[in-house]
Amino acid sequence: MSESLLGQLQTYAAQSNSKVSMPRKGETFIEVDQDHIKDFISHLVNDFRILHLATITGLDLGENIGIIYHLSQDKDTIYVRSIVPKAKSTAVSIVEVIPGAILYEMEIHDLFGVTFTGNPWINQKLLLPDNWPADLPPPLLKTSKPAEIRKRLQLEVERK
Amino acid sequence: MPPRKVGAVIPEMFRLMLEKPTTEAYPYKPIQLPDRFRGKLDVDPEKCTGCQVCAVVCPAGVITMIDKGTRKVGDRELPVKRPLFDLSTCIFCGECVDNCAFRALELTKQFELATPNKADLIMRKTVES
Amino acid sequence: MSDEAKLREESAGLMEYSVENLVPFGPIHPALKEPEYFKLILEGEKIVQVIPRIGYVHRGLEKAAESRPWVQNMYMFERTCGICSFVHSLCYGQAVEGLTIYEVPRRAKYIRLIISELERIHSHLLWVGLMGHWAGFETLFMWVWNDREVILDLVEAISGNRVHKSMNAFCGVRRDMPENMEDRIVERMKFITDRAHYYRDIIDSEETMLARTENVGNKINQETAQKLCAVGPMARYVGLRQDVRLNDPYAAYDEVPFDIVTRTEGDVRALLRLRLDELVVSANMISYAVKHLPEGPIRVKIAPIIPAGEHSSHCEAPRGEIFYYVKSTGGRTPDRVKSRQPTMANIPTALELLKGQTLADVPMVLTAIDPCFGCMDRMSFLDTESQKQWTWSGEQLRQYGIKHYFPERFDANRSKFKEAH
Repeated sequence: MSESLLGQLQTYAAQSNSKVSMPRKGETFIEVDQDHIKDFISHLVNDFRILHLATITGLDLGENIGIIYHLSQDKDTIYVRSIVPKAKSTAVSIVEVIPGAILYEMEIHDLFGVTFTGNPWINQKLLLPDNWPADLPPPLLKTSKPAEIRKRLQLEVERK
Repeated sequence: MPPRKVGAVIPEMFRLMLEKPTTEAYPYKPIQLPDRFRGKLDVDPEKCTGCQVCAVVCPAGVITMIDKGTRKVGDRELPVKRPLFDLSTCIFCGECVDNCAFRALELTKQFELATPNKADLIMRKTVES
Repeated sequence: MSDEAKLREESAGLMEYSVENLVPFGPIHPALKEPEYFKLILEGEKIVQVIPRIGYVHRGLEKAAESRPWVQNMYMFERTCGICSFVHSLCYGQAVEGLTIYEVPRRAKYIRLIISELERIHSHLLWVGLMGHWAGFETLFMWVWNDREVILDLVEAISGNRVHKSMNAFCGVRRDMPENMEDRIVERMKFITDRAHYYRDIIDSEETMLARTENVGNKINQETAQKLCAVGPMARYVGLRQDVRLNDPYAAYDEVPFDIVTRTEGDVRALLRLRLDELVVSANMISYAVKHLPEGPIRVKIAPIIPAGEHSSHCEAPRGEIFYYVKSTGGRTPDRVKSRQPTMANIPTALELLKGQTLADVPMVLTAIDPCFGCMDRMSFLDTESQKQWTWSGEQLRQYGIKHYFPERFDANRSKFKEAH
């Protein structure tokens, strides 16, 4: 990333109370809280012209769930991370800024249980089957065990 | 817009009719395999020492170590183990072959392994010797 | 709550998603009785909205990766896809290598490039054959798949297997190129180039392919494709210069000269020409790399414990951009692995391409995005004008398309076509 772009990013991040760090050449990590995430990404896309969203990743961090937006432009990758507590897992959707993010948010909703307000298809299941029991925790959390999922969905196979 | 040609494929049809067919005549004739073909696993019981490296690196869980008693080294009794191969889960990757320090393992060219009896695919050469 | 009222409530938000914010289309009842891959909502003959449902071959690889050692995950991720298996293991390997301090030797980078490009040629040939099959042109399908055997023989001679090459390792490749392969590879690449020119001639002039691919597919502009995050050929066929090999070179792509292919017409025929041209570019790259292969080691052995940190990597698969993100806490197993396939990134673009098309064009448009999941197995349709719902399998949809375009070739006794309306 050019020095001027990094400087502008740091100035903008300081205004919205975010931290910028660069552990390796070409990779920038930014922590943003949920109130500012949509404006931040909109600023990156419209003003800094960093246009390509590779994917959105969910992470299980113990007490919280981390949502990482991977944006890339030529040789630079920017990770914008936002934290959502497990007890109240709702987040802000960025579908109005980048319409291509709709399926990634549906996937995190299915696999981690985070609801994105503002996403029109959030109540549709993308990956999970229709008969997923409501009291079973979402599959990718550390507390969810594959053996229990197989038993509840009656997928056990008899081994002779 | 380029002109539409009807029957652009007719010259090609004649060329293909005069060539030999592409379909291999297997199983009525034997098939040619390249040198590096990865088929069924084979082990040499003379060279195996039971070091368990193959069991640790296998990605598919093919190899189990079986106890075969103990041996005396100095004034200690050390366990002796030998591997048992369940080839029905093998993915033919060759990790065990690459990591065996005694060159006891080899991937042969045999690929006709289908059988109605799963017990045929368990290789006990090193356990029974 | 009755079934109908539940459906009405769930479908209330479905019509609002579109790039231009179209007006919602009144009370719609999507058929939710059976899970299907795509639900298409029609008005008479024209498609109005498509709702996807994926995950039928979801195997839980990301969860399984958290309980296996690092090297075993490489074999597991290689089996995500049969056609782009080498690129998956390469991308995972690059993401993990970034966390260590070791460098990949130069000869290994060239060998990785050769195998990646052989895979790309194989995938594009397979796709051209499939387009012929769905268009009703079975001869093209047979001939292209015949030429594909040439590539598979080369791959088997180098790696030992036709599909799962198992050649990648951390910081290197596992097997070297065999002796005396250079002449054989160069001669085969010349053969493939000649065949690609011949197929280009066929699709430009043959009646069947022209009728089914010219001006088919909703035309989108560059800004829409960028906003929908299209990757690979779906971004290049509207003119965007987006290719990971050019923008962020990995392996030996910064040393081997090449140029990417872009087109500006927005229909399915442009995709056919683009992929055949890319095939010729790949064949030239392989010939160059084989002649200039550097000497040296092919592998650096590393410890099985990877230091803590996060890293990501992306590669250009035949279908688009593959993205892997890896997080390590310093143990023998990873903490989180995220893999994003290119077809998932192309689904919003595919939904946009289908709007306004007729039912007979659906198979060609859906195959044109080169999907990597079995999406054509089952589709359900809902016609808002006649209020009919029905379900077809992929074969029935293909027969409908052939009957619509070439009724004289359609044989009613041999097909499984069932009249629905």
